[in-house]
Amino acid sequence: MSGTFEQWRIAVASLRANWFRAALTAVGVVIGVASLAAVAAVSAGAQAEVADGIRRLGGNVIKVDGEFITIGTRQSASDRTITPEDVDAITKLPMVSGVAPHQDLESAVVSAGRRQANTWVVGMTETYATVQNQHAQTGRLISASDVNFGRSVMVVGLTARDRLFPGENPIGKSVRVGGHEFEVIGVQSRRGKLSSENLDNRIFVPLPVATRVLLGGVNVVHADTRVRTEADIAPAIEQISTMLRQQHKLPAAYPDDFSAEDQAGLVREAQRASSTFRLLTFSLGGIAMLVGGIGIMNMMLVSVHERTREIGIRKSVGATPAKVQLQFLIEALVLSSLGGAVGVLTGVGATRLISTFAGWRTLISPASLAVAFLVALGVGLFFGYFPARRAARMDPITALRYE
Amino acid sequence: MADPTQGATIDLTDVTKIYANGDLTVEALKPLNLTVAEGESVAIMGPSGSGKTTLLGILGCLDRPTSGSYRLVGEEVATLSETQRARVRGQRIGFIFQAYNLLSRLDAFRNVELPLIYAGVAARERRPRVLAALDEVGLSDRVHHLPNQLSGGQQQRVAIARALVIHPSVLLADEPTGNLDSRSAEEVLAILERVNQTGSTIVLVTHSDDVARRSSRIVRFADGAIVADERVGVAS
Repeated sequence: MSGTFEQWRIAVASLRANWFRAALTAVGVVIGVASLAAVAAVSAGAQAEVADGIRRLGGNVIKVDGEFITIGTRQSASDRTITPEDVDAITKLPMVSGVAPHQDLESAVVSAGRRQANTWVVGMTETYATVQNQHAQTGRLISASDVNFGRSVMVVGLTARDRLFPGENPIGKSVRVGGHEFEVIGVQSRRGKLSSENLDNRIFVPLPVATRVLLGGVNVVHADTRVRTEADIAPAIEQISTMLRQQHKLPAAYPDDFSAEDQAGLVREAQRASSTFRLLTFSLGGIAMLVGGIGIMNMMLVSVHERTREIGIRKSVGATPAKVQLQFLIEALVLSSLGGAVGVLTGVGATRLISTFAGWRTLISPASLAVAFLVALGVGLFFGYFPARRAARMDPITALRYE
Repeated sequence: MADPTQGATIDLTDVTKIYANGDLTVEALKPLNLTVAEGESVAIMGPSGSGKTTLLGILGCLDRPTSGSYRLVGEEVATLSETQRARVRGQRIGFIFQAYNLLSRLDAFRNVELPLIYAGVAARERRPRVLAALDEVGLSDRVHHLPNQLSGGQQQRVAIARALVIHPSVLLADEPTGNLDSRSAEEVLAILERVNQTGSTIVLVTHSDDVARRSSRIVRFADGAIVADERVGVAS
């Protein structure tokens, strides 16, 4: 239709005549779109982080952990409830492909020469590597013979290495843990973070050395269990729970003295807190958008009122109600799409700032930007409709007489 | 001709207009019959509130009669919808207002172009027609002036060009010289006369006897009814 271009021209011209007011009105939409775009980018980044974390840690892992239990007023003496027999029994389950028992010393001051570092010591066996997807960046990992012979060897994580041996090759050097000397044989490749825990600030020693020399006893707290497929996770948790209750001879009234959880679930769980925060930001973006829309409606109503006479004149020279309505709708659309475009750019900028200063991983997808922009258009259409209809329904005679 | 209304540009039969305001009803037009032939120029006179402006609103399809029939160039328009009346206005009626009613942000060209845009005339066809209309009112040298850069008389001539550009069946003028000094008024009236002589039908509302005398017919109103209908000027 030949008139459509004209309608656009008319709309743009009238916005330009009041550009300052139009710009102020568009600010609400800008903020709304920018926050939606930024939140979407942060959200996508966090999801990618989760996916990455699961890939690095390996999927299909059930974390079986010993727990303290409280019966009446008495608490059990230890959470080291996983026995070597438990580990053997779990290993024999058909869907289980590997079990990595380990005992951790969650906060230990270790030293290399004069340097000291607070780190997390993991006493583990050679199965840990396959179950937990552990790789050596340099050197080698803990082997079966290291475990069997109780050798005092150690694999260090990247952060632990950086603290104990900054800028040096740690292989062959020695580290003291609680009066016991270990020889560094390898460096673990990057593991990243799980929730707030830095999985790279860890050092690994053979389990028998850890239990006998450092802690005493043979039981462990952890038995990371890998199952063959994702579908095995839930039934495996069931069976392990039933079996461990029997092995531990727990009376029916007692709670489990262990827990069994899907590790990937833990990774996702770690993101849940931040997803609440994202939801909040998202709602704020939505509210900004709503306020922006109301701003548009307000400005359009003022504009329709101010231009009553113009509407009368246009009607007198043949403008149908539909054309008058279209003119004002286009004005609202132009306003909201300009706001949307500036908002998308601002959102991308804000995302960059968040990445730089908060250190969060972000992922800007064109699709989410397009959605944010379309939401702005929708807001313009929705809130422009009522003022436009008011203009369209104006009585031409009254409008022409309006001073 | 057997039927004098045959071929009439305007044919009103028993047209009334009643404004209802709560319990109060005002009969702005009593049953009214009026026929205007093609090429006539009719001056409508009468005191304020006599119904002449109401009549002009109905003639211009800005308003609908409460009852009765209004045939414009043979087509019944009294019962049309708002959208259909807008189309009739855009294709058949040229308005000239006392206050010019130009859009202040548009230059002379854009103002005159407006009715053609709404009538759906293609851009390349619009340009020559707009320029011809502006030429007709002697404003070829003011094409890109904004209304506030033009004198009152020039603004009214732009408005006339805007009314003429669609080649209307009838030109409706509401006190077209009411805001003008005598020289500008004379220019405007001369243009209207010339337009009428080339065959356009004109209906104008005026208080001025001088203006009315230049028409071919004077219709006088009082209290919503025609009280006199006389032919002038054609002194035989």
